Amino acid sequence: KKKFEPGTQRFELHKMAQASLNAGLDLKVAVQLPPGEELNDWVAVHVVDFFNRINLIYGTIADSCTEQSCPVMSGGPKYEYRWQDEKSRKPTALSAPQYMDLLMNWIEVQINNEDLFPTNVGTPFQKNFLKSVKKILSRLFRVFVHVYIHHFDRIAQMGSEAHVNTCYKHFYYFVTEFGLIDTKELEPLVSAQPR
Amino acid sequence: IELVHVTMAMTAGTPTSFPMSNHTRERVTVAKLTLENFYSNLILQHEERETRQKKLEVAMEEEGLADEEKKLRRSQHARKETEFLRLKRTRLGLDDFESLKVIGRGAFGEVRLVQKKDTGHIYAMKILRKADMLEKEQVAHIRAERDILVEADGAWVVKMFYSFQDKRNLYLIMEFLPGGDMMTLLMKKDTLSEEETQFYISETVLAIDAIHQLGFIHRDIKPDNLLLDAKGHVKLSDFGLCTGLKKAHRTEFYRNLTHNPPSDFSFQNMNSKRKAETWKKNRRQLAYSTVGTPDYIAPEVFMQTGYNKLCDWWSLGVIMYEMLIGYPPFCSETPQETYRKVMNWKETLVFPPEVPISEKAKDLILKFCTDAENRIGSNGVEELKSHPFFEGVDWGHIRERPAAITIEIKSIDDTSNFDDFPESDILQPVPNTTEPDYKSKDWVFLNYTYKRFEGLTQRGSIPSYMNAGKL
Ligand SMILES: Nc1ncnc2c1ncn2[C@@H]1O[C@H](COP(=O)(O)OP(=O)(O)OP(=O)(O)O)[C@@H](O)[C@H]1O
Repeated sequence: KKKFEPGTQRFELHKMAQASLNAGLDLKVAVQLPPGEELNDWVAVHVVDFFNRINLIYGTIADSCTEQSCPVMSGGPKYEYRWQDEKSRKPTALSAPQYMDLLMNWIEVQINNEDLFPTNVGTPFQKNFLKSVKKILSRLFRVFVHVYIHHFDRIAQMGSEAHVNTCYKHFYYFVTEFGLIDTKELEPLVSAQPR
Repeated sequence: IELVHVTMAMTAGTPTSFPMSNHTRERVTVAKLTLENFYSNLILQHEERETRQKKLEVAMEEEGLADEEKKLRRSQHARKETEFLRLKRTRLGLDDFESLKVIGRGAFGEVRLVQKKDTGHIYAMKILRKADMLEKEQVAHIRAERDILVEADGAWVVKMFYSFQDKRNLYLIMEFLPGGDMMTLLMKKDTLSEEETQFYISETVLAIDAIHQLGFIHRDIKPDNLLLDAKGHVKLSDFGLCTGLKKAHRTEFYRNLTHNPPSDFSFQNMNSKRKAETWKKNRRQLAYSTVGTPDYIAPEVFMQTGYNKLCDWWSLGVIMYEMLIGYPPFCSETPQETYRKVMNWKETLVFPPEVPISEKAKDLILKFCTDAENRIGSNGVEELKSHPFFEGVDWGHIRERPAAITIEIKSIDDTSNFDDFPESDILQPVPNTTEPDYKSKDWVFLNYTYKRFEGLTQRGSIPSYMNAGKL
């Protein structure tokens, strides 16, 4: 793998990822499964929270992420994401705003599905719960990829680097703690990864 | 990468190197607030959970439990924590509550006594009509602020439990205070005694100080926002929730009106008894109007020069005057005229000779209602507490002692301290909504505390008239 040089996109990313909100809590510790807790419940509550926050973050840059600025949903020149769901069996190339719209709606439907994300006390999770969660989180991760690589100037302009970084860091620790995203999928932001 | 210390700015202004619409700007502010809030709560919740676990271990050690029993207790504890996690993922909507009765009306909607269907718990539900609010974006802002204030679960502030919204309204589910509000109490009585006034003003001092310590300024302290709990103690509602939405808070509203001749010559010439009667007669209307009343607002709040938390002490001075005299010092027939009097307080703040009050009380009112620089409290709340009017107040225990006026309530859902309000159509379902059901439901507050969760999970009793099939 190539090492990144100063001035390259990856190097910038690395620098940008440093500002973060409070240091009062080690997020790496915070994501760990507390003693006696159900893994599925712990994961479920995180997924819902991450969705809400990432949706909020994307909302702040949504008006600068347009058909013109982002005609393909990508994370830099190397990564292009295509959309695939029940309706479009074939992976389809879409603009970033179109892709995001489908993505957010799809996740919202998933987390509101009582069968998949039961909220009633005592209702068990389905066997394939973690598998479904992996798919959701991989897709949420792409929002970070796109925002970091294509819209970070806007984030900086709004003074919300620390907010986005903290959320990303938290997300990263969480998915790696429980192995919920394939390493391959994490590749585009490898330089922004907290170590 | 090391975590870098960045001080949390509440809502830092945004530089404008490329154009950003107001809409986006507002979104950014809300997003930042929400994220800051989320992460400061995450720390808290993390610590609290650890503390609960440690406490359990210590308690079991002290009780000298056998290993088997310890295991059982641990798993019971873990189950409760899991339930708490589930509750945080729950979405709530209007149909999770049964509406029992309208108990209050405000400028932007109404307040109802409601019961949560699954647990039987009683709450007050404040309903705010979105259409009545001046700026739509403020709805989101209100929610972000609300989320923060939800943590303020001290004794002095009305507890918030849930909030949700649908197309028409914003709903806030809060603790029901059966004692009614100070406005209603003041309308029932001619005046309060000095002793009663001392009690209510002391408690309100502590309440206001509590929100100041959280970093908030209320800006809209008035008798309508002072609620009484089952024992007759004061709690603050509505921390500036809608402040700024009302015309009475906007200087523009008065700009072209200040040259109008005072329209209330008749009012000026009334004796204090007539004044009190007239005031009380018009008081409810004033409370329900979207214009609001400027009676309690500090003069500096109207000026462009800025204000600080001291503005809340001015409002308290106005309330104290009203308690002892029977009407507030600047009351007039129109908000414009009231505004003029507030701005000219140096001439207009006078005490009617026919209603005698003690020198101490008068002195305190004049120290509340004065320029912000000279106002009592500008050197801290201790300065206030040591004023002679408060002589004998047991500041540390006032809430545990009997209230000046005891409240009689027969049950947790007794509404006898509230006026009757006609049913309204505010809850009529919006026609042709094709949205999926969950869209009209909302997440439970992100920073939902475990403490509160405990109180919510026990089942409450169903009031008798609900069984009788009343709405
Ligand atoms: N938690 C509560 N418990 C009992 N009664 C309440 C509660 N909250 C409000 N009320 C009643 O409803 C009335 C109106 O409520 P509130 O003052 O909060 O609404 P509002 O007038 O719309 O607010 P604003 O102060 O912004 O105008 C109160 O004066 C009080 O009588």
